[in-house]
Amino acid sequence: MSYIPGQPVTAVVQRVEIHKLRQGENLILGFSIGGGIDQDPAQNPFSEDKTDKVNGWDMTMVTHDQARKRLTKRNEEVVRLLVTRHSLQKAVQQSMMS
Amino acid sequence: MQDRLRILEDLNMLYIRQIALSLQDTDIQKKIDHELRMREGACKLLAACTQREQALEATKSLLVCNSRIMAYMSELQRMKEAQVAQRTARRPSDAGPMDDRLPCRGKVCVSDLRIPLMWKDTEYFKNKGDLHRCAVFCLLQLGVEIYDTEMVLVDRTLTDICFENGVLFTEAGPDFELKVELYSAGLEEDSALGSTPKKLASKLSSSLGRSSGKRLRAALDGAPGSPVIPVALALPCAPGGPKYHLLAHTVLSLAEVQDSFRTHDLAITSNEESSFWLPLYGSMCCRLAAQPYCMAQQMMCGFLKLQVSLHPSLERLCWGGHGHGASLHWGARPSFPAGMSRAQTPRAWPPGCLGGCGVTLPLPLLAGQWKQCCDELMKIEVPSPRKPPALLAKQGSLYHEMAIEPVDDIEAVTDILARRVTALELRPDLGCPPWLSLFEGPLLSASHASITSDTASASPSRSRQSWGRPRTLSLDARLSTLKGRAGKGPATALRPLAGPPHSSSSSSGSTTPESERQGRRPTRSPLDPRSCLQSQV
Repeated sequence: MSYIPGQPVTAVVQRVEIHKLRQGENLILGFSIGGGIDQDPAQNPFSEDKTDKVNGWDMTMVTHDQARKRLTKRNEEVVRLLVTRHSLQKAVQQSMMS
Repeated sequence: MQDRLRILEDLNMLYIRQIALSLQDTDIQKKIDHELRMREGACKLLAACTQREQALEATKSLLVCNSRIMAYMSELQRMKEAQVAQRTARRPSDAGPMDDRLPCRGKVCVSDLRIPLMWKDTEYFKNKGDLHRCAVFCLLQLGVEIYDTEMVLVDRTLTDICFENGVLFTEAGPDFELKVELYSAGLEEDSALGSTPKKLASKLSSSLGRSSGKRLRAALDGAPGSPVIPVALALPCAPGGPKYHLLAHTVLSLAEVQDSFRTHDLAITSNEESSFWLPLYGSMCCRLAAQPYCMAQQMMCGFLKLQVSLHPSLERLCWGGHGHGASLHWGARPSFPAGMSRAQTPRAWPPGCLGGCGVTLPLPLLAGQWKQCCDELMKIEVPSPRKPPALLAKQGSLYHEMAIEPVDDIEAVTDILARRVTALELRPDLGCPPWLSLFEGPLLSASHASITSDTASASPSRSRQSWGRPRTLSLDARLSTLKGRAGKGPATALRPLAGPPHSSSSSSGSTTPESERQGRRPTRSPLDPRSCLQSQV
């Protein structure tokens, strides 16, 4: 999805609710994240899903470290994400066009 | 008129800067500059926002910035006057006592602020009449420290206005004056009234009932008794935006400090005719706590001269003070350094320890000016930083949200979207919603370009993507079947949107750099600083 940084963006999003797993004394989600507004988007290994919101906190303008912190809060057992997916957006657009 | 205001403001600022320069005080000047920048930002936000809650928040920020600028400017002037008075004094004593020994500062905290309302029985219970709503917040000022509470929407379903977040002041003296001001903005449910031309509005107001007509006129004119903002600061950057007016105020001081919830009187400065009026009971409840710094921190460290008659037990003397009280460390020798956190009178010493000692404490007992605050340490919780308001209220969000459920069914999604597009076509006056751009030409060509680039360099990126990420299998299955069915969409009366990109040159043009970039990905080593950060969560 192309967008200009700083400009409002419109996207089709999907709500995802993840319950954290307990691994020892930590709560983990079980996946990895890449990117952040301080990272080079061309180098992003995971370009498929983009996270817009985590538990209500905006993620469209966060650095990698801020994103990691918001996903790994100790006292939160459930993480609710709003995720944009390229394939979802394409599919909706194609359906709309026909 | 606008130019004149600008010139006046520039002159004001120049004057203030001169004062700051002559006082060699950069601290307040920096604070003023900061508030000026905040004010600019608030004006821009106000001009750009579309939702009412955002406008209310921005107007509140504007009001707070203006108050702070005023306070800093007054402080600078006061400092300048004091400096001038010092210089022009004929004799040193003329200038007044320059007492180095100021009473120690302390923290003052206002929390659990609650203002009871007094609705008429008919309004509250029978739910008659239109729901009159106001947006309210409190502005608290102590010296140059000004803070605002969060904004609360009030209507007759509430019995009290409650502000959850406390406010902490850190530079209070024992003679502090804490001004509390309650501001209110009337919210007319029918926002179209705001843009009605004046003549029509007055005709309307005269034909409506007397009380509602008066209220309407007051809302359009701006009620009498609203605070007079100095000319130079009355920036006309919020025409037609919400306006806050002073509803009530009070002043709290040391006498009102208590380690519990207390009721204080409010002076009401509005009348029933105003649009921003709320039926206040006339009092305000809160917990006003104060904690002088001398109670919690080491204030002085130095030598303590003792005139004692030698007593055998003196050598074993130790001061077991109260938890927060003085901690004196004694040694065998008469002269030793002692750190004290509070001056205590001799009667607090452990009994039987001294017998006949006289102690001269060379400390100014200025902690006593804090009176009841010194008896017992009041607990003050540092108020947690407030979450930005856009995240708390759904209506105030910067996101234009349109929840579509169930989310797994693409056809249901497109059905809803198609219906909304047709509905919008029937209402051309509403304008184009931002999400419509998602389904129009230019973006479509961009996505097509990335589709082709994806398939071009499919293998390296795909294999990496399939590693260990949770995927909603049902959705993916649906997507693959739908791609095959792209030709037949929902049969609705839909005006055909911009078709697929016509010029193949544009898509191929954008493909090349992307595929180049993607092709280069596998060769980058993970230690390369230019590669993207990954974290396991």
